[in-house]
Amino acid sequence: MIKMVTLKIDGKEIKAPEGINLIEAAELAGIHIPNLCYLKGMKGVGACRLCLVEIEGMKAPVIACNTKVKEGMSVNTKTEKVEEVRKFVIDLILSMHPLDCMTCTKAGICRLQSYAYNFGIKESSFTRKKFGYPTDEANPFIKRDPEYCILCGRCVRICKEQGTNVLDFMGRGIGSKVITAGDKPLQESECTFCGSCVDVCPVNALLEADRWRKGREWEYKKIQSQCLSCGNGCDIIVSTKDGEVVKINAGAEEGSAERYICAIGRFGFDSLKNESRVTNPMKRVGDELKVISWDEAISIVSKKLRDAGKNSGFISTAGILNEDALAMKKFASDIVKTKNIDTTVSLYADPDSMRSTGADLENADLIVLVGIDPNQWLRILPALDAIIRRKVERGAKLIVINSGEPKIASVATVSLKDKEVSTLSALAKALEEQMAKGKEQKTEGKEEVSELEKAGDLLIKAEKTVILTSPSLYDASCNIEITASKLKLNVPQVIAIPFEANSKGVTMMGLITEGSSYKDMVGISNKKEQRAKSDSLNVLYAIGEIPLFERPDVDFLIVQNSHLTPLARLADVVLPSTAILESDGTILDYLGRLKKVEKAVEPPGESRTHREIFIDLAKHMGSTLKVTDSEIKKAIKVKKEKLTILPYEKKEGLEVDPFMLIESLNYSIMNGSRLLWLKETEKAVAV
Amino acid sequence: MIEKAIQEIFKYYRGNKSELIPILQEVQESLGYLPEKVMHDIAKFIGVAESHVYAVASFYSQFRLLPLGRKRIAVCRGTACHIRGAPHILTTIETTIGLKEGETSDDLEYTLETVACFGCCALAPCLRINMDVYGEMTREKVKELFLPLNEGNKDE
Repeated sequence: MIKMVTLKIDGKEIKAPEGINLIEAAELAGIHIPNLCYLKGMKGVGACRLCLVEIEGMKAPVIACNTKVKEGMSVNTKTEKVEEVRKFVIDLILSMHPLDCMTCTKAGICRLQSYAYNFGIKESSFTRKKFGYPTDEANPFIKRDPEYCILCGRCVRICKEQGTNVLDFMGRGIGSKVITAGDKPLQESECTFCGSCVDVCPVNALLEADRWRKGREWEYKKIQSQCLSCGNGCDIIVSTKDGEVVKINAGAEEGSAERYICAIGRFGFDSLKNESRVTNPMKRVGDELKVISWDEAISIVSKKLRDAGKNSGFISTAGILNEDALAMKKFASDIVKTKNIDTTVSLYADPDSMRSTGADLENADLIVLVGIDPNQWLRILPALDAIIRRKVERGAKLIVINSGEPKIASVATVSLKDKEVSTLSALAKALEEQMAKGKEQKTEGKEEVSELEKAGDLLIKAEKTVILTSPSLYDASCNIEITASKLKLNVPQVIAIPFEANSKGVTMMGLITEGSSYKDMVGISNKKEQRAKSDSLNVLYAIGEIPLFERPDVDFLIVQNSHLTPLARLADVVLPSTAILESDGTILDYLGRLKKVEKAVEPPGESRTHREIFIDLAKHMGSTLKVTDSEIKKAIKVKKEKLTILPYEKKEGLEVDPFMLIESLNYSIMNGSRLLWLKETEKAVAV
Repeated sequence: MIEKAIQEIFKYYRGNKSELIPILQEVQESLGYLPEKVMHDIAKFIGVAESHVYAVASFYSQFRLLPLGRKRIAVCRGTACHIRGAPHILTTIETTIGLKEGETSDDLEYTLETVACFGCCALAPCLRINMDVYGEMTREKVKELFLPLNEGNKDE
């Protein structure tokens, strides 16, 4: 499909896809063209002048980052002339850069250090110049030290591309400085502390604030894992040293739109060491929780569950892994034999919407956002917000269908503000009409084209459409898919967006409402009190960071979580489970991808994984419980059903306040880490 | 008052990104400088990030981010003025009114700046206060020029 061109780089003949630049092409041949400002996935800007190469037949050297491959091109990346220019550039930059590599945190991954090393430049041949700009370290997340800045503009560009847009250059020439509006500290700008700028800084100008003397790159162990804090389930790379997490970086493929993590994912890890951590089983004695042994805890809990039987209830969040979810399902259904099993997913989604097949968001050229309002600044699915804004920057079109006022609508190609269901049905009708009219007179010649027709036109022209919808509008959104397939258009992929990392996984593992629902069990049902008192639950087993701050009306409450949440404080038994980064397993992310979650650090004290606890309980109750990989793989298979047009309706009872929900599902992280500073700062600004 | 002036200027624009520089110029003409709040309003009006407006305003030397004094003193530093003692003229002014080149006094009375050449080299060394040019300056003349001005202020 993509045309390949043949060219020569340093005498090596290579085939490269048409349209890519010389840096990328050289990379394919295993040749590194030095650069400080180029960012994969973005247009080259030629700020650093290091990537100069010579092309046969051209007089002067050209910048590789902004030169596309051409058939028959012959490129030389290491001629005397370009090496001399590069050496000169490094020499110039070094005249303004501190020479303190021996104590610099970035030593080892600093590009400037490595190029200076390659050229053997110990000290600049120019007079040393210093501007004396102050360091911005007023926040606990990101330290900005302009003394180290080489003005490559990577941070400015990444911040712009993902739509956060707080950084820019002040002034001109060597006196320029990367600043926020008004040259204020980060917390006084619209900065969300996502740290994307830290990830791309090639030197020590932008750094995690707590990294000073916490080890350097070559001392770290790197673990590829997943963040579990919200519905985006972002890829992360965890760096550990001496068994402790030192930092977390975005882990999606370099250059991809998905390469983003938010402040929670990047900086929430201090919660692992917070004093609210539960490291031993505990039981209630009077007003207090007393530490007990696992043996005692297991025997108390299994006795209670055996006695309660079908009158026991199990609730969990969808922040647990597939393996844990399946273990929980089997334990509750097969061993305790209760039907009262449910998760927090039922608060905002119905199981059908969570069973959708996958979608390829990265390569979509049209994104339709139905009834969801991702927002980086409020940390509501922040990655989704950043991905969409980045996709739009890279040329994708965006249709926003939302009756509210989502911030993201400001970058939409078309924004439809009527009620979602009526917009969707009107859109389907518009599609049919536009197709019936035929291509030639679609919109051309017409003076006034309605927004709806524009949206229809985009859908007709798009090659790969992804519709991202709120679960309550999933059926209505699927009607667009069906209409498009009837009209023989490129069929859109429809994805319902959940608020938790493994909502789709726990649904596929069978954790769906069967007996009492989550709301019933915790007593927040909107329905009138239907259950007779005698019918009520004897035992409630709450797994994970349940967003509850009051004790539900049950005789016996078991809370199994990594931290002592407000709910855990009210429990009769608390079982310490592993936290994020402490357990292996898998999740099924919002785009239907099975992702591996890898353990980065050992759990503290006597914490165990959820599944280990269920297996122990089962054993104590005289059964064996097993969860295998093949069972998980089987469980996540989606049966593609033939879809029929359903009425254009919004599912009732699924409204939640996403901000409150995500905050409370991450209660221990938000309140047990430096993110608390951010919350308090935001509150202070808001007042 | 500022708010009104800004809205008046915005009336003549459509709110496009490309209108940034003309708007900045007009605002500066009207207010004498670009207050932070106004840059925020401009960013909103043309739909760009505030940092972008700030970046553009700080890039061009024609834009001022701080208010100007009521009396703008420009000392010529052209070749002719230089050899006839412009540096002395500048230091004398600096000590008399207590400002360094490029600074504005706290009471917004004076702004002291230098220029490359007025084009009246025959009068070298020369300086300008707002629109009036003073030629063939000496240290004494400078002192005379500024002391009465200073005293005049005190009377007001």
